[in-house]
Amino acid sequence: MIFSILVSVFVVSTIGAVLAAVLCASEYFFRSYGPCEITVNNERKLNVEGGSNLLSVLTEQKIFIPSACGGRGTCGLCKLKIQEGAGPLLPTEEPFLTAEEKNSNIRLSCQVKVRNNLKIEIPPELFAIREYVCKCTEITDLTYDMKQFRFELIEPKTMGYIPGQYVQLLTPVYKKGIEEVYRAYSISSDPADKNAIELIIRLVPGGICTTYCFEYLKVGDTVKVNGPYGQFRLSDTNAPIIFIAGGSGMAPIKCMLHHMKNTSNKRPATYYFGGNTVKDLCLLDLMRSFEKDIPNFKFVPVVARPAEGETWNGQTGLVTEAVKRNVKNASECEAYLCGSPGMIDAAIKILLELGMSIKQIFYDKFE
Amino acid sequence: MNQTPEIWQVFVVCISAVFTQNMVLTYFLGLCPFLGVSRELKAAMGLGAAVVFVLTATCMLNWLLYHYVIIPLGLYFFRFILFIIVIAAFVQFIEMVIERYSPVLYQSLGIFLPLITVNCAILGAALFMVIRDYSFIITVGYSLGSGIGWFMAIVTLAGIRQKLTYSRIPRGLQGPGIAVIIAGIMALAFIGFTGVLQGR
Amino acid sequence: MKRPPGESKLEDILRSSRLVAGGFMGSDTRSASEIIEADASDLLRLGITAKQIAARMQEITNIAKTALGNWVFVDGQRKAMVEEARGVLICPWGHLRKCDKRVTVVIFVKSGETVRWSDLNIHLIAEHGFFEGKGSAYRLDPEKLVKIIF
Repeated sequence: MIFSILVSVFVVSTIGAVLAAVLCASEYFFRSYGPCEITVNNERKLNVEGGSNLLSVLTEQKIFIPSACGGRGTCGLCKLKIQEGAGPLLPTEEPFLTAEEKNSNIRLSCQVKVRNNLKIEIPPELFAIREYVCKCTEITDLTYDMKQFRFELIEPKTMGYIPGQYVQLLTPVYKKGIEEVYRAYSISSDPADKNAIELIIRLVPGGICTTYCFEYLKVGDTVKVNGPYGQFRLSDTNAPIIFIAGGSGMAPIKCMLHHMKNTSNKRPATYYFGGNTVKDLCLLDLMRSFEKDIPNFKFVPVVARPAEGETWNGQTGLVTEAVKRNVKNASECEAYLCGSPGMIDAAIKILLELGMSIKQIFYDKFE
Repeated sequence: MNQTPEIWQVFVVCISAVFTQNMVLTYFLGLCPFLGVSRELKAAMGLGAAVVFVLTATCMLNWLLYHYVIIPLGLYFFRFILFIIVIAAFVQFIEMVIERYSPVLYQSLGIFLPLITVNCAILGAALFMVIRDYSFIITVGYSLGSGIGWFMAIVTLAGIRQKLTYSRIPRGLQGPGIAVIIAGIMALAFIGFTGVLQGR
Repeated sequence: MKRPPGESKLEDILRSSRLVAGGFMGSDTRSASEIIEADASDLLRLGITAKQIAARMQEITNIAKTALGNWVFVDGQRKAMVEEARGVLICPWGHLRKCDKRVTVVIFVKSGETVRWSDLNIHLIAEHGFFEGKGSAYRLDPEKLVKIIF
């Protein structure tokens, strides 16, 4: 009897082992795709191990494709043109692609699995993006709900960026239930300050990243950012400039103004800075000093409705109303807008009414 | 009993597995995914199709295992474990094959495969095959019929549930509650099929 | 209970804090479809559809938007304002739908009751009938919401 028990156990285990071996062999056979070659923009060649999705493969190769959902197929931001080798379109990609995109071979890189050689196109600006390790060296209060954070770049030590660009700050898991996410903030520091960047961040109640920055981040902490991103920048022309920005929208404008001061840019420029109450204004002293240092710069702060007890002698009303009142030569100017989508839409409407064409209006909406 | 042609027997077994001996409505096997995945018609069809395929294929494999390994080696007591191991291995294997050769099919169907590994209807079919001592060809007919019967039941339930989306169902019965009641009424309806295949 | 894989993926995203802090489900242990069904029967009882509610919410938001962050009277009985932040919120249902990060706060002046919603809430209610789970920061109770905005 012991013998038959032993035999039975042995046979059952053998059958189990045989099936497990078959599965391992099939996994090796079916799931390994061997080395694959990805040709980027018809010039660069990457040799990678097949089997994972394109987004993670490119990230491993230090090419950062924008993504908000970490490769789960929910945000639709990781679109890339894949000329060859992507395989048939998957149902998980369909909702995110227009008919035109489908016809031009645009796919969601987080859903496309690298199974064979691929030919892809990556917009050149994505190559400049790197991941930086930084140390927070200073936190300054600007208003009751805005702070300026200074981050010293540790590795790599310098970031080549154009004033107006933004970085993505990685929010770590700072408390239970929070996941790592990236949030975008414009660079506000002086470009001449080569080894550091500064960000102006406004607290959003319940916001994942701003809560981290305001309540958990301390001087001396290490953070990761990647960048620089963005097409928002000063043009090369000599047209007079109208800056319109409120709140933390001041960040890229401040960066541009530093740059204008550094390069002694003589373009006439006016900055309309809108706030709801007087305590929403910040960095007024810096702006006044810019008025002295930049040849033709004028700073116009506008308060919508001064609160009780506040004294305010400057312009009042909505910043868009102030622009309407003061700008006489809109059709010759260029406008640079940064702020909430509502303010940007309202400003564009006013500027078009004043005779500006949409081609002269530049804005950063962080879409 | 007359020596009825085997092909006729296969047909009878298949039809009875769909209607008079429906896996879920007569024997109440495979109720968990039946209730859980029947909210949406498309998901129900996907899962149903996966069940038809896996049930038929694993039943055939298990018949071979039973008659060429279990009986000769006297492992009758281990049939449960061995059947389950075979089902699990088969599902894993098929998932890999589908994922490799047809990513589109994998996205619509293959993702249901892990869900049905522990579907007791799959194991139940194999055990019925043993108890009733079916031959190989009858096993094929039986498992195909069982799978189709399960498919029909879940698709019907999904259709009914979708039609009920905007009906006023008492709060306590929403979700699984009303689903079980509907399944019970469907089972009652299927009882009407008994006696249809009497007298062979 | 077994669920279709698509629904599991949706549940994961709704419960995670990847899109919004705290997720969309709060402390609610029911599944998303149960929450939607429960709220749908509330709506039937109130005699109003989700699309009608969403349309009225959008109307109020549009009026509040023009004030660029200041309080404005929507009609004689309600005032509203918007708080905007940069960035987009993505609909968890996984179709390409991005909403601005805009929170509309509405006060019903007589009673002082307040309600607030985000642009994403408007979309979730209009297209998916989803009012978020109990305990979530942006849970909108259909009865309370209808009382304040209509």
